[in-house]
Amino acid sequence: MTSSTPVSTSAAATTTAATATGTAGSPARLAEETTQGKTTIAASVVQKIAGIAAREISGVHSMGGGISRTFGAIRERIPGGGTGASNIAGVQVEVGEKQAAVDLDIVVEYGASIVDLARAVRRNVITAVERMTGLEVIEVNIAVNDIHLPEEDDQPTPSPAAVPAPSRVE
Amino acid sequence: MSTPSDDDLARTLVDVVTADPAVARLDAGLYGAVATLLPGGRLVGVRVDPDPARPVEVAVVLYLGAPIPTVVAGLRARLARVLGDRPVDLTVADVVAGPVDVQVEI
Repeated sequence: MTSSTPVSTSAAATTTAATATGTAGSPARLAEETTQGKTTIAASVVQKIAGIAAREISGVHSMGGGISRTFGAIRERIPGGGTGASNIAGVQVEVGEKQAAVDLDIVVEYGASIVDLARAVRRNVITAVERMTGLEVIEVNIAVNDIHLPEEDDQPTPSPAAVPAPSRVE
Repeated sequence: MSTPSDDDLARTLVDVVTADPAVARLDAGLYGAVATLLPGGRLVGVRVDPDPARPVEVAVVLYLGAPIPTVVAGLRARLARVLGDRPVDLTVADVVAGPVDVQVEI
């Protein structure tokens, strides 16, 4: 429902964008430079940009489902997994010559409207990927896998209850 | 077989590409095949095909910041000054956080 708006506008914009960017040196269409050679953007580039754009929205606690978070933690320890491996946890992309599709697994903060959050994440990811790579984003599928409660942070440190304890031990 | 002139061209292209401030480093490409084998080492990120009609391959890692199509256009302009009309297959293999914009690297 919310995704139908950006998809329809971007699909309608392709016809107008072709004439607009054609005069400006066509920066948005990378694969059409047949005489100059072709430009390839690796999937990990799109993955990183989408991951960073999704995390920029407040209300996104972290990225990745249970399994993909585990793999992400493992991947960070593998040499060559890259320092940016934390950026791409929970992000799967499919990249073609002109278009990209993005799937996101996110964990939301308790208290954020998930519908609003998903809309904001989708808009920011589409804007970032289209602006940064020139690829048209045809869809952003968002799976909310978990919700993060504020008290989950307090569990490892039960210090408030433990403060009066020393006086009793004395 | 690569001729000495091709090797010199590859060395020149490495200098041209790394001179661009938006380029973090050269990369071996998606399959690690973008490299020039030289006596005493290999130049990663540039491959000059022995056939002058075939494109030159270049693979780079860019800094995040400017839109990639803009950076690619600038890079192609730099390469065209050396290569003329010869086509270039350019691969953006990865992006890393820029030296100024450190906060995006989580």
